[in-house]
Amino acid sequence: MLATLVARRAVRSGALWGLVFAVFIVVQTSAYTSQYTTRAARAGLARAYGTNLGLNALLGQARAINTVSGWAEWRFIGILTILGSVWGLLTATRLLRGEEEAGRLDLLLVGQTTRGRAAIQATAGLGAGLLAMFVMVAAGTIIAGSRASVGLSPGHCLALSAALTSGAAIFLAVGALVSQLASTRRRAAGIAGALLGVAYAIRMVADTNASVHRLIWLSPLGWIEESHPLTGHNLSPLLLVLVLTMTTAVAACWLARRRDVGAAVLADPDASAPHDRLLGDPIGLAVRLMRSTVAAWLLAVAAFAVLIGTTAESAASDRSGSSGIEQSLSRLGGHGSPVADYLGLTILVVALIVALIAASQVTAICGEEADGHLEALLVRPLRRTSWFAGRAALSILVLAVAGVVGGIGTWAGAATQHAPVGFGTLIAAGLNVVPPALLLFGVGALTYGLRPRVTTRVVYGYLAWSSLIELAGGLVKVSHWLLDTSVFFHMTPAPATKPDWTAAAVLAGLGIAGTVLGGLCFDHRDLQNA
Amino acid sequence: MAVPAIRIDGLTKRYGTSTALCDLDLEVEPGEVVGYLGPNGAGKTTTIRLLLGLGRPTAGRAEIFGLDCQRQAVAAHRRLAYVPAEASLWPSLTGDETLHLLGRVQGQVDLGYRAELIGRFALDPTKKVRAYSKGNRQKLLLIAALMSRPELLVLDEPTGGLDPLMEQAFRHSVGEARDRGQTVFLSSHILSEVEALCDRVAILRDGRLAEIGTLAQLRHLSALTVEATFDGVPPDLTGVPGVTRAIVDGCHVHLQLQGPIAPLIEALAGTGLRGLLSREPSLEELFLAHYGAADDELTRDHVPVGVSDGDGDRP
Repeated sequence: MLATLVARRAVRSGALWGLVFAVFIVVQTSAYTSQYTTRAARAGLARAYGTNLGLNALLGQARAINTVSGWAEWRFIGILTILGSVWGLLTATRLLRGEEEAGRLDLLLVGQTTRGRAAIQATAGLGAGLLAMFVMVAAGTIIAGSRASVGLSPGHCLALSAALTSGAAIFLAVGALVSQLASTRRRAAGIAGALLGVAYAIRMVADTNASVHRLIWLSPLGWIEESHPLTGHNLSPLLLVLVLTMTTAVAACWLARRRDVGAAVLADPDASAPHDRLLGDPIGLAVRLMRSTVAAWLLAVAAFAVLIGTTAESAASDRSGSSGIEQSLSRLGGHGSPVADYLGLTILVVALIVALIAASQVTAICGEEADGHLEALLVRPLRRTSWFAGRAALSILVLAVAGVVGGIGTWAGAATQHAPVGFGTLIAAGLNVVPPALLLFGVGALTYGLRPRVTTRVVYGYLAWSSLIELAGGLVKVSHWLLDTSVFFHMTPAPATKPDWTAAAVLAGLGIAGTVLGGLCFDHRDLQNA
Repeated sequence: MAVPAIRIDGLTKRYGTSTALCDLDLEVEPGEVVGYLGPNGAGKTTTIRLLLGLGRPTAGRAEIFGLDCQRQAVAAHRRLAYVPAEASLWPSLTGDETLHLLGRVQGQVDLGYRAELIGRFALDPTKKVRAYSKGNRQKLLLIAALMSRPELLVLDEPTGGLDPLMEQAFRHSVGEARDRGQTVFLSSHILSEVEALCDRVAILRDGRLAEIGTLAQLRHLSALTVEATFDGVPPDLTGVPGVTRAIVDGCHVHLQLQGPIAPLIEALAGTGLRGLLSREPSLEELFLAHYGAADDELTRDHVPVGVSDGDGDRP
């Protein structure tokens, strides 16, 4: 029963994400083969992108991208593995800890099952979701690979699909494990997200510094990259993925059987002396409730920023003198400094994290209403618009601080290596990533004002779409109107180029307009509980 | 003339094609304790949400102490406190912290009374909300509402999860509020609670007001329950004016009587009558009668023969 319930929701979600991945694979492969038709064109592509520092940091080391196999392997594993991992951790924490937190698991456990059996059933349900994603991705790769211009065998297609869904498998299991550790869904997703961040950071360092490339074996994302399902024919690293996934899933079931329903391994104390500071008004309350989450996000931003700052000098010197880097520089219209160019591309990771913070802020605002907590405030002498304005202002402040932290972190990292990039330049580069996040926040706030129940799906969907467009649009020519739909498209790659403050002001203005409009709509609609 | 504590005028709420509340008119005077009854889905909570400005009406308006519930919600909320049926509070805050926060947002707290209420409801305020049982969370909401001594208490099934001792503490607190001149608007499924606390009762059916009045007025409009015991076979009383639903059980007859009792007394003369008990309907019977409960339920659920409920007895 539980397996069916979990499976139904996991399969629906896994199939949907898998479908998006499949469409992405088919469209991108088709674009590559139609745009790079000659050997010379593909060699040019390899020269321009194969040594591109930023892209190697973001997506992993490029290998034989003058062939469709090498290009597909690099591009799809680099992008879809991360998105699949995010899906895995969000799905597992939502369907396990989220259901338990809402009290719905209690209803199922009073039926003819045991705690241990229920945990196994829930894990099997998640496995069904993964299978649905694999089937969709495999269908996409087989359709793309069967074209004469691509020419991938079904075996290769299945191997690539296995690699592409490996991130999802690992983080479904990690999500199941942290759902046993944390008492709330949000906290569980936070821990799993931090683990994904660490895995990504290790992979990034390993791929940008030849001297420490061996570190890649410390990251599960590195294992997936090292499997090279189309160019290396070495699938043994995927066995490591399988072992890690199974071990983690078994550990999750083992822990689930040994704890009380509703409780968590990392239990918080049930009582404490009152701390009334920050509990004088709704804004203080919001600060108090989200301070640990925001601190974790800012720490992630700072960590990534320091990381890319620290690796910038050595990563750039690794590639100095390459003809590819010259082409990259001219294409970007950069300062002529390889370090600035590297930072201009890799700071996109910081932009993505700040945009994720924006999405999580909108979700948190939604959650306050859906959980019924907002009602407890709004039945008291408190204007809806005052609450919303204060809450939105707080979120916008968090985004601005995240941008500044990104700039300072990058500068601090770069300064340790005596990289030739100034403090002011990097603070500007940090602030440059805030407007896209503001636009995303505005879209989310407007959706919240109109249709609160679909807000989370809209805001994360839009972020995923923008990420896909941003990461994929640069390589194959995508129509301009499609690129325009990405929140990141009008963000200049500072510090490789100077920030375009006019474009930034337009993005920020649109975001704030969406927020104001969302606030007005919120004031005129019914309050809705989940 | 005093401004009504609550004034509802033609209030209507539709969700798509379904009508949750239809053209509701209602007034509650200051200092009154009014019970608001109705089966699930009748529109009680919808009424309360519109009163609190949490929902937007499709038509009509509502006022609290003359303040429009939509346009002047903040001013209206300064004069009321609300207890919902489901306690949704911040799980990471302790009881103390929650009361502090809600008191600060409300803007007024009687700290002495707050301490008294914590003692009366036997709440441990050092515990975090997530560690409270459902009943304890409900107590926390009751304390948060009562501690501000508002002019109007809006209570939506406030005693769900409370044990009988705490139910008594709740009744005591509402009695105190009434004695201080506070107005109470109580939506409840616990009919004995409404019967014990309320001056007037409003009964809602399918989003419309079916009945409103004091219990005495409602009883006056309803049938009297009569139980007669005979030495032998009871006579046929179905033709007696006002008698309905007469059920013969051996030498006992249970019947409902609408209107004057004299024709029945005349009909019973010389029939071997051994005993006669009559009583007014309980609120539960009134409520069930409004919702078309089966006749046999009405006759089965009344107090046993020979037992009366005090001042409802008639000769």
